[in-house]
Amino acid sequence: MAANDISIIHPRPSSIVAALYTLRDLNVDVAILHGPPGCSFKHARLLEEDGIHVVTTALDENGFVFGGRKELSSALRKVNEMFHPQLIGVVGTCASMIIGEELHEPVMDANLDVPVIEVEVHAGYANNTKGVLLTLESALDVGVIDREEFERQKILLEKATEVEKLHGAASREYLAPSRGDLKYKVAQRIIELLQEGKRGVVIMNAKKETAYMFADITVAVHEVASMLGVSANVVNMANLDESLGLPRVRDHARNIMRDLKEKGVQIHEITGGLDEYPVAGDVVDKLLLRKYADYDFAVITGVPHAIPMDHLKNMEIISVTNGPRQVLPLKEMGHKHVVVEIDLHPKTLGVNHIVESELGATLRQMLKETLY
Amino acid sequence: MINQRRIAIYGKGGIGKSSTASNVAAACAEEGYKVMIIGCDPKSDSSITLLGGKRIPTILDLLRQGRKIKEEDIVFHGYRNVRCVEVGGPEPGIGCAGRGIIVAIKTLRDMCREMDEMDLIIYDVPGDIVCGGFVAPIRKGLVNEAYVLTSGEYMPLYAANNICKGLRQIDTRLSGVICNSRNVTREEEIVRKFAEEIGSKLVAFIPKEQIVQDCERDGFSVIEKAPDSNIAQVYRELARAIMSNADSTLPQSLDDERLRELTR
Repeated sequence: MAANDISIIHPRPSSIVAALYTLRDLNVDVAILHGPPGCSFKHARLLEEDGIHVVTTALDENGFVFGGRKELSSALRKVNEMFHPQLIGVVGTCASMIIGEELHEPVMDANLDVPVIEVEVHAGYANNTKGVLLTLESALDVGVIDREEFERQKILLEKATEVEKLHGAASREYLAPSRGDLKYKVAQRIIELLQEGKRGVVIMNAKKETAYMFADITVAVHEVASMLGVSANVVNMANLDESLGLPRVRDHARNIMRDLKEKGVQIHEITGGLDEYPVAGDVVDKLLLRKYADYDFAVITGVPHAIPMDHLKNMEIISVTNGPRQVLPLKEMGHKHVVVEIDLHPKTLGVNHIVESELGATLRQMLKETLY
Repeated sequence: MINQRRIAIYGKGGIGKSSTASNVAAACAEEGYKVMIIGCDPKSDSSITLLGGKRIPTILDLLRQGRKIKEEDIVFHGYRNVRCVEVGGPEPGIGCAGRGIIVAIKTLRDMCREMDEMDLIIYDVPGDIVCGGFVAPIRKGLVNEAYVLTSGEYMPLYAANNICKGLRQIDTRLSGVICNSRNVTREEEIVRKFAEEIGSKLVAFIPKEQIVQDCERDGFSVIEKAPDSNIAQVYRELARAIMSNADSTLPQSLDDERLRELTR
């Protein structure tokens, strides 16, 4: 720990897992974890649901003592025969990195005709974005991404780290997890505001695939406003630029925009790409100042703490996060209602359509009860 | 950078790697080369005789304090401007010295601009490659030539032979064998034969002379403290041999029986 950093004691996202997700975004077909069989198990399973193969070299006590060069090269050959991949990722773990395992030599030994992204990463970094950065550096070396995209991602990562330190889960030494406010009460308040003829902005500022569920809240608020005959009172902003980010991320934006269009939901302001949640907040802030400063309420979903409070101060804020440790920091920022969509991420893996959220479902049900 | 020599000297613990490394560094610096010596032993005494007996803060000392490290905090200028760096390590029996080397080498590579300007970089590595971390300099592509230091005794030769086995395993070429004499009978002949049989060559025979120890005790290399001695001349010749060496081979280790025959 560097002397100027705080010592955070609640569990933090892992750089190894961040590397795995980045490999997925780079469209690898197989990721091989070089380390013990249980390392990153839960996320490895989730990623399988998202369509990539995740395997492990399953190093045991002997592997720690004698190294796992053979295990990794044979795993590489095996996955090549089993899955015929176009692109493979190899990811380090704490155990393999501490004993000084080299990823490059086994890759050479395996001598496959497939490009391999080697990520020498362990989970001992203060910011899990390090895992993303290491993966992108290696992808740049292999030629999977170009320098321009790399530099763009690097800036976004630095900004993301900053956002987490400022108002996120890295903002203090311990944050207790919380389920946030009761969804039916918050849903009721949104309906009330719309019934009273109040004007609101719905801001989705989501990270990558999580948008599949956060977008549902934009849809649900739209449905409520339409049924109440006040849809003109609601403005939608979303970071759904289809032309930015890695190919997979652009696909998500396209899928969601298509669904929104089908449901008749208009996005009035596009604030950036789906990987731009750390910087799209500034775009939102400028838009608020220019056009929506006198609106009465805001529903902010995704990464709500990345939106500056400057021009939201006079609005009643309802924010929706998937981070149980995000509740307290958001309340402290001045968000009046904070809702947690628990286990949102697993539900947004392996999908290409908008997925119903709990708050969305609650809004729809309560609307029925209000109207009939 | 293109013609940069980055060498590691391997050999049994106590055989004289640090003495050889620091005297070669001093001799090369005298010839006008830009030289850096990187001590990779947790004992952190590789560069001590180039710095008049002073110890310098190690990379791992500074990392432990959590400080933001600058180049000038870890690169010190010794005799004839030889750049001296010590990796350092944890307290004996605590933590992981191997990982320490990996982290320190990475830190150095990331921030040391001077490294690129050097004509010669010597990695003074610990005698026993006890785990993966200890070969980090080679594995990370930082070393492009390896030398093995031995005497004509059985145990140092056994260690040298083992090192050759290791070098072959990690696909690293051997540029030569250096004999650091312990006054054994037929020593030069034995080591020369060993060098030839593993497919390499003897690049220098360093006689055993008390003056080396005496200078070290005072905190100096013989090049600095006893520049006119015979042994200083031997080190200068070794330095020239290293700087002009163009041969290297993938060593072929001997079986133990042959090794015993050689030393009989």
